[in-house]
Amino acid sequence: MTHIAFREEDLSLEVDYVVVGSGAGGATAANELARGGATVALIEAGPWRDPEDYPSSTYGAMRDVFDDWGVGIARGRALWPIVQASCVGGTTVINCAICVRTPEDVMLQWERDLGVGNKAWRDALWKHQDKLEVELCAEVVPPAAAGRSSLLAAKGAEAVRYDGHPMTRYVKGCVGSGQCLQGCKQLKKQSLNLQFVPEVMALGGTVLSCAPAERVLLEGRRAVGVSGRFREPVTRRKGGRYTVRARKAVVVAASVTRTAPLLMASGVKHPLLGRGFRAHPGTGVFGVYDHDVDMNVGATQGWASVQYRIEPGMKVETLSIPPEMVASRLAGAGKELVARMGDYRRMAMWVVAVRAEAVGRIKRGLLGEVSVDYSFARPDMERLRKGLALLARTHFAAGAVRVLPGIYGLPYEIGPDQVDLIENGPLDPRSYILISSHLFGGATMDKDPTRGVCDEYGRVHGYEGLVVADASVIPTTLGVNPQHTIMALARSFADRLLDA
Amino acid sequence: MINWLARSAMVTFYPRSEQFPGIDEMPLDEYLARFKRESAPLMWAGFVLGTLFFHLTPLFTVFIPLPAFALSAATRERHAQRLSSHRIYYVRQPVFLLKMIAGLLWGADPAVRSRLGLAPYPADPGTWRRS
Repeated sequence: MTHIAFREEDLSLEVDYVVVGSGAGGATAANELARGGATVALIEAGPWRDPEDYPSSTYGAMRDVFDDWGVGIARGRALWPIVQASCVGGTTVINCAICVRTPEDVMLQWERDLGVGNKAWRDALWKHQDKLEVELCAEVVPPAAAGRSSLLAAKGAEAVRYDGHPMTRYVKGCVGSGQCLQGCKQLKKQSLNLQFVPEVMALGGTVLSCAPAERVLLEGRRAVGVSGRFREPVTRRKGGRYTVRARKAVVVAASVTRTAPLLMASGVKHPLLGRGFRAHPGTGVFGVYDHDVDMNVGATQGWASVQYRIEPGMKVETLSIPPEMVASRLAGAGKELVARMGDYRRMAMWVVAVRAEAVGRIKRGLLGEVSVDYSFARPDMERLRKGLALLARTHFAAGAVRVLPGIYGLPYEIGPDQVDLIENGPLDPRSYILISSHLFGGATMDKDPTRGVCDEYGRVHGYEGLVVADASVIPTTLGVNPQHTIMALARSFADRLLDA
Repeated sequence: MINWLARSAMVTFYPRSEQFPGIDEMPLDEYLARFKRESAPLMWAGFVLGTLFFHLTPLFTVFIPLPAFALSAATRERHAQRLSSHRIYYVRQPVFLLKMIAGLLWGADPAVRSRLGLAPYPADPGTWRRS
């Protein structure tokens, strides 16, 4: 078992496969390759934090596990933060481990429009998802751990007459500690730093942490390795250089915002590299009840509805956030803001994630900096308004006495007869505080090399031994949480490499 | 100097109330020093810009040609409210960042959490696996 963290000395290795990125895609691909008997090196830009290293506060989470303090933003008409982790296990450490199968309609669309996959391909993906659900102990949130916010959402949705359900998550025996976003110290969430990555090491693989990759090494059109330089995670001091040669292939799974720029920096040429960025941007609506909800007690996310996934194109779900995040999210300043925080215990926050039509672009600047150009189109704003209005109605149906829309230009709080204010609310993205989550694209799959960067097994068109195995390959939005899809794709791509 | 200006702005956003302690009762200087040392350079730069912006703009909100630190507490609070709800997006955004960074300290304070029925946060260890 070998783990190499930050070091001053240079390092050279040679293995069968090098995998860049240890999140949902990279850890799963590395794990599958190692299980297949290959020697694997798994390279992660961030440090390895075990549960005893996890932060508790939001400040600690931003410092220790968010990618560069969460300063990444999608820039367009408005600035929307991109939330992802930089640590061994990637974003699986800080997400809510929501497990949703890849919808069939999405894969049929890929086959019809892009020539990606067929029935056998889809069946293989779902079989991987069957196995992943067992291996990672996918469970429905138990009622005792759901928390009042999720129970209220279920009650409200029933009254408004739409379907919802307790979430299925890769969480074994959730105790509802409400700390998903900082990493689960209870060891219940099956994040991949606890699951697949240790298995890679047990099978003889090598894990490099604190090791941002700088280049995929190419010899002609063949990928032969990865080079980079260790970076101390606290001081950001640079350490020794490393070079890992790959006898068989390089798998890049550095995240949607990092994979395409890494390929660009490496000299991979494709006109569509960085293009096709998509997301499920989302925001929340607070309901204020006449009794304590204590949303921070119980599963961070416990209930969802996908009834409107296809039309109009959105997902609604519960999300509990701690006081320090609510404090910046509520409008106002001074005594007014502090007085508003007095409602915290009686608040429940539910969010809408929009299955956006908008398409953006990931770019790499002259100094290597990454930027994302992305702006909502009008239909997306209309979806957003519909979703927020639905949530407001659901809150009132569940017994909320007031709703805080959080929309610039609208009153701070509204009553049950004012939901139309949200429905007719502003269409300017600048009026909303959104977060870009569930990112897709940048190196999308398409059978036709002129329309996509990769084929249906993540192989970069025109190159040998170069595979992309994260959400960068996903060519459309899914309308559901993507971790299950990313892992199944990564496992499928790894199997194809082993078969070759 | 920037810490002094930041402190003045942060105190304006999170003053003491009947229910909660004010941010000035918390280890604000230590927090600012830690934030400067630990945050990403871009984050710190945004925070400094937000702070300067806060202090240089009272003329456009409360129509007084003085920096915010020279205003009375009540007027400075009115200035903060107007900035944070300003119709121009790029006026609201730097102030949002300032408010968020202050909120990370204020909302995580043990006394605030206690009044919200939450146990104090354990310390963030800041450790990582080295071998």
